Amino acid sequence: MEQPTDAEPSVQVKVTFTTIEEDIQLPETKRQLLVPADIGRHGLSRILNSESMLDTASIPFDFLVNGSFLRTNLQEYLETNGLSHESNVTLQYVRSLIPPKYEASF
Amino acid sequence: ATHLNESDKTLRDFSEALDMWTAFQTKTHSLSLSLSSQLRLILTPSQSTKLSGSFRTGKRLNIKKIIPYIASSYKRDKIWMRRSIPSKRSYQILLCVDDSSSMGDNSSSSGRLALESLVMVARALTMLEVGQVGVMGFGSDVFVAHELTAPLFASHDAGARMLQHFTFRQEMTDMCRLLRNTIDHFRDARLMQTGSSGGEDLWQLALILSDGLVQSKDHARLRPLLREAMEQRVMVVFIVMDDAAQNKKGHSVLELKEARFGSDGMPVIHRYLDSFPFPYYLIVHHLEDLPGALAALLRTWFAEVTA
Ligand SMILES: [Mg+2]
Repeated sequence: MEQPTDAEPSVQVKVTFTTIEEDIQLPETKRQLLVPADIGRHGLSRILNSESMLDTASIPFDFLVNGSFLRTNLQEYLETNGLSHESNVTLQYVRSLIPPKYEASF
Repeated sequence: ATHLNESDKTLRDFSEALDMWTAFQTKTHSLSLSLSSQLRLILTPSQSTKLSGSFRTGKRLNIKKIIPYIASSYKRDKIWMRRSIPSKRSYQILLCVDDSSSMGDNSSSSGRLALESLVMVARALTMLEVGQVGVMGFGSDVFVAHELTAPLFASHDAGARMLQHFTFRQEMTDMCRLLRNTIDHFRDARLMQTGSSGGEDLWQLALILSDGLVQSKDHARLRPLLREAMEQRVMVVFIVMDDAAQNKKGHSVLELKEARFGSDGMPVIHRYLDSFPFPYYLIVHHLEDLPGALAALLRTWFAEVTA
């Protein structure tokens, strides 16, 4: 489940967003964020695209954590790597490599 | 009951802790002096605000003495009240240091700033000699690093033994457990104190030194505990360690945001500190700011409670 509601607040993890793509840089004050631990790349994409972040509406993003793509939710990533909720996870975001045609019907 | 689990905790090497205590004490000595002299003015009452007693001269007439005064043909003339001698206050102060791993994380220097602050404040309170000083650590668990009843930090050994407990390896920041333990600890300590000396005006103060990162879902759970502390007359001050020298721009807790998803699946972003439940907190960017900021906060608080 990737959409916790206000009724059941979930555990949070602190993440730091970075990117090497010049045109989608976040301002420095928006790079660190507390996010629900059960979030995956879709939820993270939605956050990045939101008005208060990049305000880009619909770019699908992929996330690199420690050099590999995030394929699970953050909670599973932490568990697999023996990390706790005290960790600060650095997420490098890149435009998803999904072909544009597919992206259009996203 | 207070849960003090020491068995699974590895201590910092004693000689390393001794080096740290010595280095931090040297570095913060003038700040300790400054804090100590500022606190002396605040914590030690120099004048009583209450008028009382019966004297031949004084500030204000004691109305109850007027009729006997007339009835005695103006012989019982101790009809004036004066400012009485201030009542002696005593303090129990708990310094509670966040031992969770977010404090010692590579991207954070909160742990070091917290330990420097701890040494600075502990030394200031030792110079002040206004009562008992204890040190607790917290993370997933709560532990005592220096008992309230133990002697103050007059020796490097005592300081080093206390510092040994802080290694920043606890994998949770359970602030609810810390507050529960603090309230219980102070309740027991008050009973011990009134049993032994009595009469004195006992004030209890908890200073929490932490990076301020608590699970947001705990913010609501902390509120009733903070109310309970207030009802027990325990003052809780939260000191947020936010190292400006080490933190990169944009990494301050002041700018930290949190994202939640609404029921429509849309992300909503808030400032993290907006739901922070501690009524008395201050944010320390530089160690040099702490004496003045802490003194100002305590001054305001004392003005409120003694008004
Ligand atoms: Mg923590």
